[in-house]
Amino acid sequence: MSITVERNMKQWLLDTIKPDEFAEKDLKKNGILFEALARPDQIQSVAREFLAQRYFLESLTAVDFAECLELVYHFNRWDGCRRVCVKVLVPKEGGVPGNGAWHAPTLSSIFKSANWFEREIHEMFGIVFDGHPHLKRLLLPESSTIFPLLKSFKGEPKGSDVAQSLKLIEEDAKEFRVQEAQSLTKKDKDYYLNLGPQHPSTHGVLRVLLHLSGERVLDGEPIIGYSHRHHEKMMEIQTYFGCWPNMGRLDYVGAMSYNMGYALLAEKALGLVPPPRVEHIRVLMTELNRISSHLLWMGTFLLDLGAFTPFFYCFDDREQILDILEMATGERLTYDYFRFGGVDHDIPQEFAPAIKAFIPGFRKRLADYDKLIRRNIIFEKRTKGLGVLTKESALSYGVTGPSLRAAGVAYDLRRDEPYSLYPELDFNIPTATDSDVYSRYWVRFREMEESLKIISQLVDKIPAGETKLARVPKNFPKGEYYSACESARGLFGMHLVSDGSLNPYRFKLRTPSFSNLNSIIDMLPGCLISDVVAVLGSIDIVLPEIDR
Amino acid sequence: MEINQDPHYLNTQTPSPDMVRFFKVEDVFNMARANSLWPLTFGLACCAIELMAGGAARFDMDRFGFGVFRPSPRQSDLMIVAGTISRKMVPCIKTLYDQMPSPKYVIALGGCATAGGPFKYPGQYGILEGIDKIIPVNVYIPGCPPRPEALIAGILELQKQIKEGRTQGVMSPAAVNDSQDARPAEYKNAMSRAEFRKQV
Repeated sequence: MSITVERNMKQWLLDTIKPDEFAEKDLKKNGILFEALARPDQIQSVAREFLAQRYFLESLTAVDFAECLELVYHFNRWDGCRRVCVKVLVPKEGGVPGNGAWHAPTLSSIFKSANWFEREIHEMFGIVFDGHPHLKRLLLPESSTIFPLLKSFKGEPKGSDVAQSLKLIEEDAKEFRVQEAQSLTKKDKDYYLNLGPQHPSTHGVLRVLLHLSGERVLDGEPIIGYSHRHHEKMMEIQTYFGCWPNMGRLDYVGAMSYNMGYALLAEKALGLVPPPRVEHIRVLMTELNRISSHLLWMGTFLLDLGAFTPFFYCFDDREQILDILEMATGERLTYDYFRFGGVDHDIPQEFAPAIKAFIPGFRKRLADYDKLIRRNIIFEKRTKGLGVLTKESALSYGVTGPSLRAAGVAYDLRRDEPYSLYPELDFNIPTATDSDVYSRYWVRFREMEESLKIISQLVDKIPAGETKLARVPKNFPKGEYYSACESARGLFGMHLVSDGSLNPYRFKLRTPSFSNLNSIIDMLPGCLISDVVAVLGSIDIVLPEIDR
Repeated sequence: MEINQDPHYLNTQTPSPDMVRFFKVEDVFNMARANSLWPLTFGLACCAIELMAGGAARFDMDRFGFGVFRPSPRQSDLMIVAGTISRKMVPCIKTLYDQMPSPKYVIALGGCATAGGPFKYPGQYGILEGIDKIIPVNVYIPGCPPRPEALIAGILELQKQIKEGRTQGVMSPAAVNDSQDARPAEYKNAMSRAEFRKQV
């Protein structure tokens, strides 16, 4: 079915759009089926056609070249890996960043996820998207004047005073308060409430601007960027090997999946085949980490709902997993363990017995959790029917991971774009139908059971052998590569443009929480203030992964 | 209890050294302060997860009397800066610090809060290289992220400092002076797209 759709799309692109450049690509190497170069005035009709064929906008980014900026759109479908890439060139003639001379049409009226992607490109590259409803800076303070991901940006100049920039940020904040005061006088009962950035229930430094009428939320807008750590610019000056620690610090709660993503990208691009022992260790590590990530989420989510006890139980179980992971990696949190074609060092002798000892105890704990939490009447009343995300909305926002599976779509990259050992393993993709907070809890809960199933299948069968390849290239061949894997939160994609040198030319990280968080704009209206934290908790966000 | 009305009663008694001790009032206060530190529930990045782990089942910071995390700065006297300080977040941290009642103490948890951590490089544009650029810090804890044991050791060290009167709770904020180095020529220049496409 989807193959016909894809063929049709290709034919449609070739017939109707007549792209200037068109190239078939290898899914196993470049991660995409084909790429096409459209003209700026065509991209909106391309996007409309893709949406009509049930594609979602997976990633949107830009690459800075000497003569032009290249906008890179990745579209994908929920049934299997059908990723395609469409590009648009924005000529650089007659413009400097910030003067508004570089234009491109907006897709925000077609794909809702494009809203944030375009705002990010606007602030990082200085491209103006015509017709964008709210083209302001997304990650950096509004008073910034820099466009950091342009190649002409050479860092903050010497003597640039932080005091000065802080002053500007404070002025921004004052201006916001003035606006707020004005809006208060206009309508008597509506008011604005700031949730965060310092709030125990926002799981980090997220700020949500709530527009309220009494206790009821009229609309809410997440404001992000309070944890922006310039990963993408940083990676451009590091060697490929030096990017490993960044992978551990993007999503520190489920860092193994990010290690996996980077390893997959390299292995696809360089044609490396890791030894079987490595594959086994990697899947074991990733699944253990997935459980620990879900446990942390469960503890804090229930803490947000007012249940204090599960927090201690979940952390108790999580510590046991961390002990096992620490045994092999030496780290508790920000893992930096995988390598191109291998892992950093071999697992110790006690590794497999420790996992075997952990499994039965944790099975019993899961049964306890189920009895205590899911059938708890207070929990049910607080979560059922709350924060509903429709399938249409999920498609438009590019929501992935458990949040999407709670809406009844069994889209999991471990099944749909199989990598590593996953094709050989027996596991289910848990889904739910209601797409509310309760469903998201239930899907994540059963995912822990499935991960445990995967672990128990593998733990007895770790083959002996090498854990490293003898020779690994230090650089990627010239070209563009895309790779994705299923992290604990959804689809984690990486788009790499390599110029053949020792460090990346452009590294785009497509993080799942970024799109997932964007979708709460559709979930919040109609909630009560106390439900906002339940909705926020249910999508399982990690802020440094969103802000990058 | 009957109170002795003799004004020279205290002088006539010879108290054993174990029974009565004389303190400065400030010392008594410091002892109370040290043993009831109320940290602010405040996490910025990765280190916050270890902070949570420190408060949870295994490490149980309550054992030492500093497990009472308060979400409001008005109720807390210890700020544990756990994570990378982005410039967008700086005014918020400053506001939180100013809202805390005196005497107040600050712990910089991890490399980022201490000096920028792994995200520090010459010419970076996004982070503040160390929280001590804007507020005074009492204890620095190294690590990326530090283990919960290190956090506990750090807070115990702070308790010791407070008890011995070595640290002052109230200090005037340090002046912000953080000038960046110029970027060395490691940043690449833009390459030509036409040539790139030709060779791919």
